[in-house]
Amino acid sequence: MGIKKVGLNRNVQPQTITEKIFFLDFMKGLKTTIKHLFRKVITVDFPFELVEPAPRFRGIHGLRNVDGTEKDDFEAWVKKLKIKPPEMGETRCIGCKFCQAACPVPEIFIIKTEKLDVPEDHPHHGLKVLSQFDMDLSKCMFCGLCTLACPTICIIHTDIYDLSSYTRRGWVLNKETLSKIADDFIARRGKEKYDDKSEWPDWQKIWDDADMARAKAWDNNPPKLGPNYADQQ
Amino acid sequence: MSWITLDKINKLKEKFDYVEVVENDKGFHSVEVPKENFKSFLRFLKEDPDYQFKMFIDWTIIDHGAKADPRFQGVLILFSPEYRERIIVKTWATDETLPTLTDMWAGAKWAEREAWDMFGIKFEGHENLVRMFMWETYPHHPLRKDFPIKGYEEVELPSLNEKERADQLEGLQNYSRMHTALPTLEDLEITQKKRMPNKKSQVVLNWGPLHPGTHGTIWFLFDMEGEYVQECDIIIGQLHRGVEKLAENLNVQQIIPYTDRMDYIASINENHSVCVAAEKLLGIHEKIPEKAKYIRTMMAELSRINSHLLWLGTYALDLGALTMFLYTFREREKIMDIFEGITGARFTINYFRVGGVYADLPYGALDAIEHFLKDFPTRLKDYETLLTRNRIWLRRNIDVGIITEQDVYSYGLTGAVARASGVPYDLRMIDKYDAYGEVDFDVPVGEKGDSYDRYLVRIEEIKQSVRIVQQCIEKLRKMSKNDPFFYEPEDKKMKITIDGRGTKLFKGEVYAGADNPRGELGVYIYMPKDGIKPYRFRLRSGAFYNLQIFPKLMIGRPIADAITILSTIDPVVGETDR
Repeated sequence: MGIKKVGLNRNVQPQTITEKIFFLDFMKGLKTTIKHLFRKVITVDFPFELVEPAPRFRGIHGLRNVDGTEKDDFEAWVKKLKIKPPEMGETRCIGCKFCQAACPVPEIFIIKTEKLDVPEDHPHHGLKVLSQFDMDLSKCMFCGLCTLACPTICIIHTDIYDLSSYTRRGWVLNKETLSKIADDFIARRGKEKYDDKSEWPDWQKIWDDADMARAKAWDNNPPKLGPNYADQQ
Repeated sequence: MSWITLDKINKLKEKFDYVEVVENDKGFHSVEVPKENFKSFLRFLKEDPDYQFKMFIDWTIIDHGAKADPRFQGVLILFSPEYRERIIVKTWATDETLPTLTDMWAGAKWAEREAWDMFGIKFEGHENLVRMFMWETYPHHPLRKDFPIKGYEEVELPSLNEKERADQLEGLQNYSRMHTALPTLEDLEITQKKRMPNKKSQVVLNWGPLHPGTHGTIWFLFDMEGEYVQECDIIIGQLHRGVEKLAENLNVQQIIPYTDRMDYIASINENHSVCVAAEKLLGIHEKIPEKAKYIRTMMAELSRINSHLLWLGTYALDLGALTMFLYTFREREKIMDIFEGITGARFTINYFRVGGVYADLPYGALDAIEHFLKDFPTRLKDYETLLTRNRIWLRRNIDVGIITEQDVYSYGLTGAVARASGVPYDLRMIDKYDAYGEVDFDVPVGEKGDSYDRYLVRIEEIKQSVRIVQQCIEKLRKMSKNDPFFYEPEDKKMKITIDGRGTKLFKGEVYAGADNPRGELGVYIYMPKDGIKPYRFRLRSGAFYNLQIFPKLMIGRPIADAITILSTIDPVVGETDR
């Protein structure tokens, strides 16, 4: 650790007379520029060519449904919050509002549960279901705190990033839309992002290395991905 | 830790009987001085050879609530370059006035204007006490505790778009038709006139607020005599969002995404400052897992490279070298890809947490970074052949905007601007937060303090950052995948969570920060008792204080130098305005 002195006459020499007369500084610069003439194109032809966002990418939210890959304590959470045990294909949301508590802008969410209207001898008597889950994404910062707070990995970030709309209405997503977004995302890229207990696995890649559009931005010479740590496979 | 020792403070108490020592169990002791003796005490601190607190860091106010009497307290943070330590001096603002410090430190000028704007404290003797961020006719002082967080909604501002389609909006789709006060053109004219009360010549040139050369929404006023600037002033605040006010209503993990939006070019470094300060307040800064420390250091340095590349590209673009911009953005793209893969966002990152980071590195992250670093030095060499010894570049930069060492201390300049003037002020060296104490790097220091030196210092900083990242990768490679990346407190009283729910801060006060590409972003947290929300969350913005010297450098210079000087000072408006 130390101090390195920089400055003209310290680590940079001033121009010599030959350089000044023969414009050598310009020549050198032009050489660099001309070299670039023969390089391959590195820009992506959007929207005809799309870079696939990384698995961790924080795009529009989704609400995951029950698909057999819940965490081990899912049942316990359902019991604790007196939610009707969800069947396959129903939402994982248990209405705990942890996402709202973690959110820096809690006005984004409207979460409501309601009691099931069933007779007393019904096994679901006294249990609740999620009745409303609205998110106003125009107020969202996409910070990801809600997804970290969710105990059942229900609310997730997907890789969708285009969220333009003419009115406020387009940015308010209800629980059906959010479920559909999540289902679509899990079908496309669920295997890349989650393991069979819905956790981020340690083999989750920094990005899909077969993505040709991203390879272009890396001078058509993308890195070969390997393990980070000594004991990683 | 670079803080004044208790012995030295006690010696002060022996010398001056009015000094009160506020002891802190984390080592951040401060002194309290009555208002009458404030200036004489500071003069002693500044000039005495045993103390030499000659560098201005920050000067702000704490509001103790409407019921407290006296209500406002001034907080001055100083640094001693000789002994490498800081001190906090506090004084009570009785009658809502305080003596001005502008005659001792020129940097206090904007700090006092900000304090007047936000808290309504009058500074006796200030040459032109006008508002800093808000317009002149704005009636409130927003950072006072009795000002509601939503503001006073006074102006009706219906959305034309929604009205056309449907006025009866329900639930979240609904919106308030009332808006907080907005400046009218008349207000802006008054503001402009008050900022430059003594106009010297005929023409006042307005540069900005929306001009590509200002790199954001800064509004410059140049009082011109021919092509030469006689008087200059800056109107900022167009991007003021009140991050400090917002932070008072959030827990510390929730503040981090807001800091992303301050210096949006180096958002990782902004996150870093908050984490470093909060960890010091909690007393866990040495217990952060090794892995988290190295990941944070590595990411912060990558972010520094990213930020300096953007600076280099736009700086050269402003001076007429368009090619540079395209080249540096090519390299930036790769860094942004790496950020996207590791953190989940390209720009507003929110990866660091108080206590570590929120997730481990994904598979292949270190390989991608290594791959980027492999050919980066040759690219950097390309940039240097294009610029460093180019005659146009030399002519436009050498001897433009010379900042002396004295200016650095008096204006509280930090970052590359200070280092180019020969002051080796680098928090990475002084505080050694995270893994900076364990990696090897040099601090580049300039000679003259002109624009060219600032350019060379930043280029050298990129090279040193590459070195640091390489050392971090080497260290991380040896670690295990099961090593923790987040600190789990053993202490029952402490609660730190990754998502922020219930994260508590302890009683006390702390000033700490990180060395960002744009200077020191210091965070001053004041907590009168344990709690979730910080009572006062002051963000000492490096870009804000660095920009302050701009009018001084411009006086007597031709207007074309404005671009060079502004680019080499390199402010980001998100951070200056907060």
